[in-house]
Amino acid sequence: MVQYNFKKITVVPNGKDFIDIILSRTQRQTPTVVHKGYAISRLRQFYMRKVKYTQTNFHEKLSTIIDEFPRLDDIHPFYGDLLHVLYNKDHYKLALGQVNTARNLISKIAKDYVKLLKYGDSLYRCKCLKVAALGRMCTVIKRIGPSLAYLEQIRQHMARLPSIDPNTRTILICGYPNVGKSSFINKITRADVDVQPYAFTTKSLFVGHTDYKYLRYQVIDTPGILDRPFEDRNIIEMCSITALAHLRAAVLFFLDISGSCGYTIAQQAALFHSIKSLFMNKPLIIVCNKTDLQPLDGISEEDMKLVKEMKTEAMKTVMGQGGEATGEEGVLLTMSTLTEEGVIAVKNAACQRLLNQRVELKIKSKRMDDCLNRLHVAMPKPRDQKERPICIPAAVLEAREKQDGEKQIRKTEKDLEEENGGAGVYSASLKKNYILANDEWKEDIMPEIMDGHNVADFMDPDILFRLEELEREEGFRQAEESKDDFEMDGAELTPEEQEALAAIRRKKSVLIQQHRIKKSTAESRPTVPRKFDKDREYTTKRMGRQLSVLGLDPSLAINRARSKSRGRKRERSPDRGDATGGTMDVDDETPSKKLRMRSMSMSRSRSRSRPPSEVTPGDGFKDSVQKVKALKIAKKSVKKRNKDARRGEADRVIPTLKPKHLYSGKRSTGKTDRR
Amino acid sequence: MATRLMFENSCEIGVFSKLTNSYCLVAIGGSEDFYSTFEAELGAVIPVVKTSIHGTRIIGRLCAGNKNGLLLPHTTTDQELQHLRNSLPDQVVVQRIQERLSALGNTIACNDHVALAHTDLDRETEDLIADVLGVEVFRQTVAGNDLVGSYCSFTNRGGLVHPHTSIEDLDELSTLLQVPLVAGTVNRGSAVIAAGLTANDWTAFCGSDTSATELSVIESVFKLREAQPSSIVEEMRKSLIDSYV
Repeated sequence: MVQYNFKKITVVPNGKDFIDIILSRTQRQTPTVVHKGYAISRLRQFYMRKVKYTQTNFHEKLSTIIDEFPRLDDIHPFYGDLLHVLYNKDHYKLALGQVNTARNLISKIAKDYVKLLKYGDSLYRCKCLKVAALGRMCTVIKRIGPSLAYLEQIRQHMARLPSIDPNTRTILICGYPNVGKSSFINKITRADVDVQPYAFTTKSLFVGHTDYKYLRYQVIDTPGILDRPFEDRNIIEMCSITALAHLRAAVLFFLDISGSCGYTIAQQAALFHSIKSLFMNKPLIIVCNKTDLQPLDGISEEDMKLVKEMKTEAMKTVMGQGGEATGEEGVLLTMSTLTEEGVIAVKNAACQRLLNQRVELKIKSKRMDDCLNRLHVAMPKPRDQKERPICIPAAVLEAREKQDGEKQIRKTEKDLEEENGGAGVYSASLKKNYILANDEWKEDIMPEIMDGHNVADFMDPDILFRLEELEREEGFRQAEESKDDFEMDGAELTPEEQEALAAIRRKKSVLIQQHRIKKSTAESRPTVPRKFDKDREYTTKRMGRQLSVLGLDPSLAINRARSKSRGRKRERSPDRGDATGGTMDVDDETPSKKLRMRSMSMSRSRSRSRPPSEVTPGDGFKDSVQKVKALKIAKKSVKKRNKDARRGEADRVIPTLKPKHLYSGKRSTGKTDRR
Repeated sequence: MATRLMFENSCEIGVFSKLTNSYCLVAIGGSEDFYSTFEAELGAVIPVVKTSIHGTRIIGRLCAGNKNGLLLPHTTTDQELQHLRNSLPDQVVVQRIQERLSALGNTIACNDHVALAHTDLDRETEDLIADVLGVEVFRQTVAGNDLVGSYCSFTNRGGLVHPHTSIEDLDELSTLLQVPLVAGTVNRGSAVIAAGLTANDWTAFCGSDTSATELSVIESVFKLREAQPSSIVEEMRKSLIDSYV
């Protein structure tokens, strides 16, 4: 839906201000320092930029004016006509047209001078061209000065127009001047329109809002209309006519039956008939006002006839709508705005008839199908015999019964907050409303973590009950145990036997434990030969331990095993030094015989053996490279897999992260660099 | 009686509160304004409890409950659980449940007798809903939306559902729930009913953007005043057509 808001149009500066704004912006936002020593291209660039920048600014500003002012042909015809009546369409269009022309002219000037600047051959020439360009642009703006002033005036006036939504539910009040239109709008809305006892107090349209049946209605107060030819009507009257012509509203035609407005009923009836074409297809109500001065029954015969005539005309408009079966009522109503008698009846009748008409139109529209589901109340079909009662506490029902005066006003948290320093200062305790067995417990502090455990994890609502149950069970079990004790520990066993029994049991439990450990690690355990298994390896120590467990003396067996194992070589071989009698003497003339012999026999060098990579005929290798490769493969193939639980390259290694030698002492150059 | 209010400039008050027939949960806000609106209306009748769930204020979307019980998501901290247990009467069962779709308020809609649940909820959760809340559970969608808790709101007296629910769906849901239902909006056209509205059998609260027409529909369908749901198709019909089309 189009919203009509003319309050947001930006201010239109007058011609002089306009020029000042643009030129000062050019001055501020483009470079200002230039020297004649600069390259000519740079000078041209400098001035071209100024010209172009000025032009874009002009363009932008003028464009906003053109875009923001509404185009009379595009907006709702009500506003179109209203603006025409108020400001004269031709004048308005002309002003905007001039602004548009100025915009084009400025663009053209800029284009021309930029072209000329390309041929500028000195700083002075370029500068002159720039000055000329800006000067011509300013002249263009100066010429449209009056148009700008006119647009600014219009802008100010438009901002003060009432915000009438042409598409919403509208009630339009019309009639001769001084018949009580403004008093009526003041009664049913909060518009606060000026009411004075002379004609044409209301000089323009006024808007108020009122509610009827959950909906909001826009009430428009129009200036009074005189009965005269269309061409003679002044601007004030034309506002009313425009509203009547273009707004699809309920029309209240006000009739002053007392004649205190200065016009007779006959005159008013004449006006009614002259503008009745504007009432076509609108719910029309003839409102006889000022019944406090003159009741409807008391008017003269011919006046009554006129009123009846108007009523029949109004009925015709009802029929014209296509069978809105309201009948007689709601077409001719009487009221008095002074005594407020019948005012609400008039409002309700107008709202109801307008609503009926709108609904009738809307029911036929396509969009009705989309919202049919929202007008449907789904009532439940019984599906079982179960009762599903509602739940309203007795306190609520009691409170409803009470009268307003009896209800005691509760002191809320907000009141407390206000008393104690307001929001952000007051902080209410969350524990205040706890429902506990003892009110003193409310502010107790509960530990959240205790001994590294979350207390809540161990919380059980029935903990006391459980404890009792457990204790009962425990007592029961103890009673059982004391009754039938284990008979094997009875007195029939001797102390030795008892000891043996204990040992057996111990052994058994150890075996079970070991078995369990083995079983639990069965999958991740490596299979290692006994030789390399620390726990199962055969050692003399282990043998000794096992023998002593069996009650044998292990020393003999250990010695025997030791004597069979090879001792250290050093002990057996004769010491070199022993031959010379214990002391080493460098100056000794007689070195050991063995040494002497060796030095003598080492005259001939040993023959060198053939390197393995050398290819000998019959090997079947092409060259030594191939042979080396083959040897390597052969060596690898006979290599035994490491199954000895030794450390291998695939093992995870955590190196010493902080080697002591690098981290202690003074850290001179290179000390910490260990890459 | 329906009350219009705001939570810290947000009209989605159903997000920040949970109202049932035996208790009312309210988010902890910057001022006591929001809490006191509930307190003034309900304070004398049922406990109005300020709480957070998982440290957040969006409690209305995270928990589900009725007169009999309260279901909390697994993200609820032990302290919050303890706080709620202390604040609510003993008849209300407070239960924390392990459910992957932890915004229980969005996935479960219930009154004191019937519950609608998201179609992807666990079987165990469904059983827990039935046990803790004492309701029949139906896995359903509302206007094609799985988030039944967000798009409808109903009490033991009536309910409001997503505005695009078709008439057939409305009738089916109404038979399941055994309460009158109407398709409507809150907060000037918002389809997320449960976010803008929280109601129980005798009162309702809605966001302050809610228009007069919406409010009157709410009051009629929840039978908050003398109005009956039938008034929506009778005296209010014309006003509704004029505001909808």
